[in-house]
Amino acid sequence: MANEQPTTGGGQPQLSYEQARDELVAIVNKLETGGTTLEESLALWERGEELARLCEQYLDNARARLDAAATNPTDD
Amino acid sequence: MALQTSPDQPAPVRVVSQAIGGWISRLGAIWVEGQVAQLTRRPNTQTAFLTLRDPAAEISLQVTVPRLVLDQVDPPLVEGARIVVHAKPSWYYTRGALSLAADEIRQVGLGELLARLERLRRLLAAEGLFGADRKRRLPFLPRVVGLICGRSSAAEHDVLENARRRWPAVEFRICEVAVQGPSAVTQVIEALRELDRAEDVDVIILARGGGSVEDLLPFSDEALVRAVAAATTPVVSAIGHESDTPLVDLVADVRASTPTDAAKQVVPDVAEELVGVTRARGRITAAIRYRLDREQSMLSSLRSRPVLADPANGLLARAEEVSALRDRARRHLRHSLDRAAVDIEHTRARVRALSPAATLERGYAVVQRADGAVVRRPSDVAAGDHVRLRLADGELGATIDE
Repeated sequence: MANEQPTTGGGQPQLSYEQARDELVAIVNKLETGGTTLEESLALWERGEELARLCEQYLDNARARLDAAATNPTDD
Repeated sequence: MALQTSPDQPAPVRVVSQAIGGWISRLGAIWVEGQVAQLTRRPNTQTAFLTLRDPAAEISLQVTVPRLVLDQVDPPLVEGARIVVHAKPSWYYTRGALSLAADEIRQVGLGELLARLERLRRLLAAEGLFGADRKRRLPFLPRVVGLICGRSSAAEHDVLENARRRWPAVEFRICEVAVQGPSAVTQVIEALRELDRAEDVDVIILARGGGSVEDLLPFSDEALVRAVAAATTPVVSAIGHESDTPLVDLVADVRASTPTDAAKQVVPDVAEELVGVTRARGRITAAIRYRLDREQSMLSSLRSRPVLADPANGLLARAEEVSALRDRARRHLRHSLDRAAVDIEHTRARVRALSPAATLERGYAVVQRADGAVVRRPSDVAAGDHVRLRLADGELGATIDE
């Protein structure tokens, strides 16, 4: 899924879709289990939002590519 | 026994004919060797006719043979075959024709040839030329198909038509050669080498229709068979009928049962393939979409989890916690204050109980000297001392009289 790379803010190395999704799942688990400080839970939630946006972008890109291929089939 | 005749006493034709017949029948049955120059076999007749020729001289005899005997000859008799015949000379009275009436026919040269072929087959097999590991796979979509066949033959027509029906755009390079007779081997080998050399010819078909064993002999020729084995381009052999087994069939990369079969093996059915491709494409797209949908719904469900969707809830919990703690603190404080108040009350009551106010209320007074000491007995004061009288409500100053 990695041609046009959606970007997270800041110049970190770009996460793959699977990496972002897995981290999101981990964050949700951590928040639901509890035991985090107020500061930590806020930070986690913000990161989660960011990752969810990233995943959304990946999926939208993939859909766009599929739809483009469907409307302009390359004939052989 | 000579016939006595003279110009005045000629014999009639029938007598002469009969006499000749008699002399001829004296020869009896004999074995004759010769080559079949002409063979006539008509359907629905019991007798077949052939001309037996002396290969060394231009001399021939007619032979008649019962259909059944002729049909038993294996491989079937053809013109040019060398045979040995057991026959009786026969004189046909009505036509005055001589022929040999055969009751047994054996092939000579052919038997020898077949034995030679068998020896060659074993030799080539021992060399490993027929091995399955030597067989090359046919290309799926050849750029050019090489075809070696007879001029305007049914085989050529069958291959071209069936190939073009499956793939209209197929390109052929055709070499029309002699496919039987003495020049066949050289011509086929030459055509084979030419097509094998051509860079764009991806497969070669060798096709010819059915024929006698002799007709197909060139395709069991050692040089031809070795040439096919040596070809780097895959070779499909479609020689004769299903039951024919020329040696080239064993060394070819694929043996087709007929020229039509060869066309089918060499060229894919393009319409069918396109359908397959379209179907595969459909399945790929469906699989991808399914994956995307699954990921999407998983993402949605993650996002709708309260910790992400409604983080205020977490804060609310904390706020409530703080609130609850504050209330507890306040309650504690209040309790402490209340307890303290109660304590004070008790203490005050005790103080009150201990104080002289009640006594004073009853009308008593407390007498104090100037130094504040309480006067209990007259000896505590002297006459003329100033004392203070504490009453229930107020004070009085007084002087001691006595």
